[in-house]
Amino acid sequence: MWSGNLKNALSSLRQSRWRTTFTMLGIIIGVVSVVTIVSLGDGLKRQVTGQISRLGSNVLTVRPGKVDGRHSSLSNLNLYSYLAPSTLTQNDVTSIQNLPSVQTAAPIDFVSNSAQGSDDESGDVFVAGTSPGLWDILHEQAAYGSLFSSDSSTDQQNNIAVVGSDIASKLYRSINPVGESIRINGQSFTIYGVLPPSAGSLLSVTGADLNSSVFIPESAAQSLTNNHSNILQIFAQTRSGSNLDNSVKAIQQAVSTSHNGVNDFTVLKQSDLLAVSDQLVGTVTSFMSGIAAIALVVGGIGIMNIMLVSVSERTREIGIRKAIGATNRQILNQFLVEGLVLTVGGSVIGIGVAMLINFLLRLYSSWRPAVSIPVIILAVGISLAAGILFSIAPALKAARKNPIDALRGE
Amino acid sequence: MALIEIAETSKLYGFGDATTLALDEVTLSVERGEFVAVMGPSGSGKTTLLNLIGLLDQPTHGDYKLDGRLVSRLSSNQQAKLRRDYIGFVFQSFNLLPRLNVLDNVSLPLAYKGMPPVRRAKRASDILELVGMRDREYFKPHQLSSGQAQRAAIARALINKPRIIIADEPTGNLDSHDSKVVMELFAEIHRQGNTIMLVTHNPELTRYANRVLYMYDGMIVGDEQTPIGHMARHARRIYFKKPRTTDDDIAAGVSALLKDVPGQEVTAKSQKRKPQGRKRGLKQKVSRGRR
Repeated sequence: MWSGNLKNALSSLRQSRWRTTFTMLGIIIGVVSVVTIVSLGDGLKRQVTGQISRLGSNVLTVRPGKVDGRHSSLSNLNLYSYLAPSTLTQNDVTSIQNLPSVQTAAPIDFVSNSAQGSDDESGDVFVAGTSPGLWDILHEQAAYGSLFSSDSSTDQQNNIAVVGSDIASKLYRSINPVGESIRINGQSFTIYGVLPPSAGSLLSVTGADLNSSVFIPESAAQSLTNNHSNILQIFAQTRSGSNLDNSVKAIQQAVSTSHNGVNDFTVLKQSDLLAVSDQLVGTVTSFMSGIAAIALVVGGIGIMNIMLVSVSERTREIGIRKAIGATNRQILNQFLVEGLVLTVGGSVIGIGVAMLINFLLRLYSSWRPAVSIPVIILAVGISLAAGILFSIAPALKAARKNPIDALRGE
Repeated sequence: MALIEIAETSKLYGFGDATTLALDEVTLSVERGEFVAVMGPSGSGKTTLLNLIGLLDQPTHGDYKLDGRLVSRLSSNQQAKLRRDYIGFVFQSFNLLPRLNVLDNVSLPLAYKGMPPVRRAKRASDILELVGMRDREYFKPHQLSSGQAQRAAIARALINKPRIIIADEPTGNLDSHDSKVVMELFAEIHRQGNTIMLVTHNPELTRYANRVLYMYDGMIVGDEQTPIGHMARHARRIYFKKPRTTDDDIAAGVSALLKDVPGQEVTAKSQKRKPQGRKRGLKQKVSRGRR
């Protein structure tokens, strides 16, 4: 009976091709938006997680601004702290560095968001001062040239910069611009090293991309900004074997002392960072998915509408079928199957289109959407539910028709 | 025990001022193997009667026993199953499903019974052979002539080996040749022992029947046994007698149309008419409802 219903549904849908296509389009758009948005969110989450995990669990992050109740939910993430001038100073970096449990400390001192290459100026860069310890913490090696280090020979040579791979291609149109000069805030720097391309990794929730970053020594950064340093965060790598919670306390104490006891900063462990980023990405993703789900529901309503039209158009057919012995249940099933074919067809095509979009995004953008099986199951589940939900009313209407009235009606 | 037993069954349509009495306390019993032709002018309740017998419609009052079983108060699903297993319909406008080919149309009742596709195709093929449509199995209904379409419809009605075949003006859309082919088919089906109820306006077709019912205003006003091959005595008269209004009628203020109710004379002979009082009683009930 089911195969008969399926055959029947397919032939009746084929009968009105345009109508079928446009009805499916509603579901397709809904499924495409749900799958794409959720997989973009998943991809973002994976990127951030990967980047944070790459730091290693022994890296602590000190951020300006106080995050309240971070051990409970982190829901009240203090975003205002990013608007105010940083409360962290170079002194804090030094005092953290001098703690016995800390091996290396490196600041990210924001300098500028524009840099000038030989051909081109770009506003889409992240220029920051840092100390050589950063390379250890990020586990970065130079792709070309070398990264500035703490030994004395290069210390004298202050006007040097390490650039990300995107900077090399964007400002110099080459993969190896070592030796070229780059102008930051009017001052000329020599490119000393190029970082290898990294998978769009983000330095922090503030969203700096390592690929389009320019790093200069901390001392140079300070002279560029007239000692008005704006430290976005300080990475502190603890010595192996030291207790992480004790290190957190030690850092808190040290920084608090130099801030005259004011707790205007936050020390985050890797798990805290993950929680913060997860929550941020999760919130955005679920908000967007909500909007996409509305598209799906609208598509479902379109199906209901068309099914209602189809039921009244086929009143006579229903009458004939009932006259020759179809029960209400059999008529109900016939129309349910038709609605389900529409939704399942729509969601299968939708998943296909979403896959294609994801593929194109991976090719032509820095987004790395991750289509996971649960997302597909979710989308199919939702559209199946919508299909049943929105087909049931028209199908019931068909099933409850009085055979004699249906036969008479045209 | 009669196959069809209808006792004092009425059917009302609409309500309030718009109430119409489509069937007026009809009592009827039909034995197995009868070929009953139902005649009467439009609106006389022929189709309503057949719809009730075919379980497409429910009576407002009264009981209907099919094969000894009281069926008039069954649920719609139980009635659907009875239609499937007991009753075959043949309609004036064929009512084949346009999207299905002849074979699928004919085997549809078996599909609703849950028979596997191969077996039902075999059965449908056999039945189509019977009605001489074997070579049209894969045609769509719109590719058939009217006569072929009606033969396919008859095949569909026969496929479940029904107890009754109900045909509502099956020749209404056919020319005389196709009509003859279709009626010969019905005659053959009847010879094999099937019960047929046929509505027709054509008196010639009463030759195929062995019983003729005359209906008027929702009542059975005549019931005549007739030998097969002979036209019923009153059949032609009902439709072809021109009413004439005489001077006496004009003086009495009566139109011949009113006076010349075809049933009157027939009823007097067949003595099947119910007492006048009862009928008036129901009419009064109806008119009370209007107020």
